[in-house]
Amino acid sequence: MTALHLHDRMFEVHPLDEHASESRLGRLDARAKLVGVLAFVVASALLTKPELVLASLAVAVTFAASSAIPLRHTLRLYLGALPFILLASLSLFLFVGLDNGVAMWARTSACVLALIVLASGTETFELFSGLRRLRVPAIITTLLMLTHKYIGLLTEELSRMTVARRARGFLGGRNLLDRYALKVISYTAGMVLVRSSERADRAYEGLKSRGFEKEMVGWRTKRIAAQETLFMASMLAASVVLLAVQMELVG
Amino acid sequence: MHIPDGLMDPLVAAAGWIEFLVVLGTAIFLSRSKIRERNLPRVAILSAGIFVAQMLNFPIGGGTTGHLIGAALFAVMVGPVLAVIGMTVVLLIQALMFGDGGVSALGLNALNMAIVAPLVGWGVYTLTDPIVNGQRRIGRGISVALAAWASVFVAAGACAGELLVSYAISGGDYGIAANVSVPAMLGYHAVIGIGEAAITVGLVSYLFIISPELFSAGEPGTAFKGPAKWFTSNTARATAVILIVFALMIPLYIIYASEGRDGLEQTMEEAGTGEGSPLLSAPFSYGETYLQVLLAGIVGFLVVCLAALTILRLLKSPTRRNDPG
Repeated sequence: MTALHLHDRMFEVHPLDEHASESRLGRLDARAKLVGVLAFVVASALLTKPELVLASLAVAVTFAASSAIPLRHTLRLYLGALPFILLASLSLFLFVGLDNGVAMWARTSACVLALIVLASGTETFELFSGLRRLRVPAIITTLLMLTHKYIGLLTEELSRMTVARRARGFLGGRNLLDRYALKVISYTAGMVLVRSSERADRAYEGLKSRGFEKEMVGWRTKRIAAQETLFMASMLAASVVLLAVQMELVG
Repeated sequence: MHIPDGLMDPLVAAAGWIEFLVVLGTAIFLSRSKIRERNLPRVAILSAGIFVAQMLNFPIGGGTTGHLIGAALFAVMVGPVLAVIGMTVVLLIQALMFGDGGVSALGLNALNMAIVAPLVGWGVYTLTDPIVNGQRRIGRGISVALAAWASVFVAAGACAGELLVSYAISGGDYGIAANVSVPAMLGYHAVIGIGEAAITVGLVSYLFIISPELFSAGEPGTAFKGPAKWFTSNTARATAVILIVFALMIPLYIIYASEGRDGLEQTMEEAGTGEGSPLLSAPFSYGETYLQVLLAGIVGFLVVCLAALTILRLLKSPTRRNDPG
């Protein structure tokens, strides 16, 4: 049995990680992805010249397209960030000018896209072990891994309760004055919290029995290979070139 | 309120990261005895609970919905220190699992939703609870509602401040102009805050009925560890917490005061106002005015606290004498 299978059996594939294994990125080491994508995101956030921002958006779109993550999935997550992006770009467009508005839209979109691809193209547990191996404090990564594990359990709990609620004729309420609806919603949330804390002890015992001690460690000890080096190098090169042109060091 | 990357001026984002790391480091240091091995899963499961509770939409009206932020709820349940850590975990997961909220902007997102929101929520709850008699159901409802609403509104205010400072210092490359960001953020979140308050009150009263003993990771002075009394260390802590929130906004004003001139100068140059004209002195007085406003805010807050304290003492002393216990 390979390390991969062991990993999957112990931590069942999370429903949110459904696209990680089919994505081309899924096979790369999480550290390489984190360093490459985060460097690109930070560099893109620093760009202000419209042509450079559009170039970084092109890089992000290429990255998204080559990752083989379903377009629908990427767009669905992008839509979540869209209201803020539109508010900012439209207000810059109206108060400053077209260039600034377009630059704002392209810059935020490039960053959001790259981050969505990183998030969807990596198993979350592996992403967190990658963070740990990049020297992020153990308390943070362990909390992240535990929380991620519990979110899966609680989401199932919530969806069962939502079905039960709907079966009893609850449609979500009309507005903020709908006291009944607000009561139902708050009691549902309360029930999730109560059930969650009842599970905490059992979950803890379960972890203990599997050898949990203070820190949760990823046990896939992959080395940075040629693929990873190539990926990191291309992302870092794109970031450095974009930044250098922005700061007028070249060209 | 999840700010994506590339929206805020890099200087503002960097300031956010520094403040976030300092506060998070302090919170981890203060809670090191509480988040020992056994409590770690408890904090994690509460974070997961808040994360899942955020998935529940409440109706606002006209077919639109909002969702819980849960910072005040977290703080009321387990105290400000654990709430800061737990909310940070929630935000990190949202950024890394869904790309919701940026990485370079994580400092600012955490500052607004994982630091300012729970601190304000806990501060308001602790300060108002004894005044409205939080022992009773209605009193507790009022203090929890105020805490939840204030946490959302002040966090939105902080976000609007960051947006307008970004806009001012970048000369229109980043951020959102004050005349859009302030009404949009504050107006929307004043309404969202009502839903947050209603849900939080319902949730806390539900938890009180069902299982008040569940949240043993909490600190004294939280909803499940008995009421706080005025003149106790909790009042002082809550006052300190509110002052910390004020203090966290100071770097933003300093950035605005020092860097904002460039943006304004640029605008003036574009408008044809040359250097050396009397108008140019305005930016300096802007900076001073803002610091003065901030100082006035802090002084005003202390005066209100003192006044409330005095009134409370006057009101409370006869009842205390009649109290056989």
